[in-house]
Amino acid sequence: MDEDNNKFNRRNFIKTAGLASGVIALAGAAGAGLAAGSNKDSYTGWGRTAYGEDQFFNRKPFLVDTPTYDKVGETRRIAFIEDLFKRNGELSRLLFPRGDETPLWSFDEGVEKLPEPLKTYYLEHPDALGEFRKAIEKSQEQAGTWDKYKHKYLLADAWSTAHASPIGGQGAFPPQPHGNPEESDFRGVNEETLPLKSPAHGSSLIKQIAYSFGASLVGIAKVKEDWVYQGYMRGVGKIDFEVPEHWKYAVVIAVPHEWDSMYANPTYGTSYDAYSKLRFIAGKLEVFLKEIGYAARSHVPPTSYEIAMPPLAIDAGLGEQGRHGVLVTPELGANTRLAAVTTNMLLEPDKPIDIGIKEFCSKCKICAEECPSGAISFTDKPENVIRGYQRWNINQDKCFTIWNSVATSHARGCRVCLAVCPYSRKNNWIHKIVREVDPRDPTGLFSSAMLAMQKKFFTYPGGQEYLPAPDGNNKTFGEAPDWLMTEEWFNI
Amino acid sequence: MFPNSTILGPLFWIVMGGLYTISFTGFYYWITDSIIKMNWWKWLLSILWFLGLNITIAGGFTLFGEKEIRAGFWFLSVFGGVFIVLGVGLWRLLTSR
Ligand code: SF4
Ligand code: SF4
Repeated sequence: MDEDNNKFNRRNFIKTAGLASGVIALAGAAGAGLAAGSNKDSYTGWGRTAYGEDQFFNRKPFLVDTPTYDKVGETRRIAFIEDLFKRNGELSRLLFPRGDETPLWSFDEGVEKLPEPLKTYYLEHPDALGEFRKAIEKSQEQAGTWDKYKHKYLLADAWSTAHASPIGGQGAFPPQPHGNPEESDFRGVNEETLPLKSPAHGSSLIKQIAYSFGASLVGIAKVKEDWVYQGYMRGVGKIDFEVPEHWKYAVVIAVPHEWDSMYANPTYGTSYDAYSKLRFIAGKLEVFLKEIGYAARSHVPPTSYEIAMPPLAIDAGLGEQGRHGVLVTPELGANTRLAAVTTNMLLEPDKPIDIGIKEFCSKCKICAEECPSGAISFTDKPENVIRGYQRWNINQDKCFTIWNSVATSHARGCRVCLAVCPYSRKNNWIHKIVREVDPRDPTGLFSSAMLAMQKKFFTYPGGQEYLPAPDGNNKTFGEAPDWLMTEEWFNI
Repeated sequence: MFPNSTILGPLFWIVMGGLYTISFTGFYYWITDSIIKMNWWKWLLSILWFLGLNITIAGGFTLFGEKEIRAGFWFLSVFGGVFIVLGVGLWRLLTSR
């Protein structure tokens, strides 16, 4: 009888313990989820880069022979004046010459009085000049209202300035090339070159070295003439040039912005954190290549490029172009910044990938809805044909006006489109599932379901809300990290 | 799970493994003491339901951890709701004769 009772009690005990354990396990799952969401290890590119661990997406099933951009006509190289910064730089030199010199041109004089190539460019793009004028007016307003915001954004501004400090001026790294590339890219090259075992060895070595310098993603592409700017060469000046023979391959490097500040764009983020990282990585890689006997030239942000980076990175298999014109990679989404080193070292190029970003962008349009300037297209398919390639293209001039409108100390960017892009997600299990399943679903149903959730579940302030009053409320996409919030540390 | 410790993380998952084992053993006893007749697919559906519920809770809280509070609540409401409905359906299936 007693034995029966004991057995019965033990059985009851296990039944009750089972119920309690089930409830505790559910609580444990909640705790594990909370930890996974807040874990700093999920901040791709800010921890595990040194051994290439951040390039964790297996590209093999998605390799393709032809890149995902569409060639639809006669192609040509990019004139340097088509680059927003080069163009604005040229115009600014006329409008605001150094010292006390009188301006060499004013808006009232009209396009006809502009020197070439600005004149031809603005005759072909009349709206762009008006937009630049608006940007200048906005920048004056921005400077005027900064006093109101300078305490709130003190830490964000200081953080950005600190990151920008190694970029400009005499002490900038890497130093700007001097002279034509046949001299400057070979300057300091070791005269002894050991025989390389194979191009595959070369690629593998250079990638490992780039990771060790801090690159999150590395890909290798043959340099394609269409991506090389025409009309300006660093170290030489304004000149038409053939693509130098020794720019055979490009090692393309990507790093992300610090994630929390990136989500808190436009006011708390900066471009300079990624820019300064890239400059150190590419500059060191240039030195490394020269030390082992190869010509090398780094192409680094913000403006020290002879090659357009996004298409080069597509060729190098790092990702695809998104609706917002930015490269989208499987690991970093649109939170991807690029630099490259061109070299004559024999390397094995990577293949491009197709993970269906174009198809997803056709449905998504979140960046276009959130862009405060209306610079991003809403069309279902890319409609612009740019230099022979059909692709999405943003209105860079409108975008620049917004840089001059948000509550920052000066025009230091917006980057809202990077933050809101559903691909810009950290590396934890929940996003990993989406990352792996979406490109494998041929029906597109999974991505439609994910997109519906994305739009319903997540908070999007809406384009104008990112602007200061009276147009908006200085909203950010995500919450700023406490280390960038002045009020957390100082009495203001 | 515990970023400042190399010991607590593995311990946590060992404990979780133990909890799941005890909860399934308890469930097994409940079932065998009841009038419910189980077969292999009923067991499979029950286990899947419980794992799915765990994943739903972990998913919602992952979004909370990312400071996506609204998304976390939506996730828990929608998928939690789905799992409650599925749970009721499953219970009816288990208890039907
Ligand atoms: S940076 Fe801002 S203004 Fe420019 S395209 Fe992106 S969201 Fe629009
Ligand atoms: S936000 Fe959407 S539409 Fe824009 S680039 Fe990202 S996926 Fe494409």
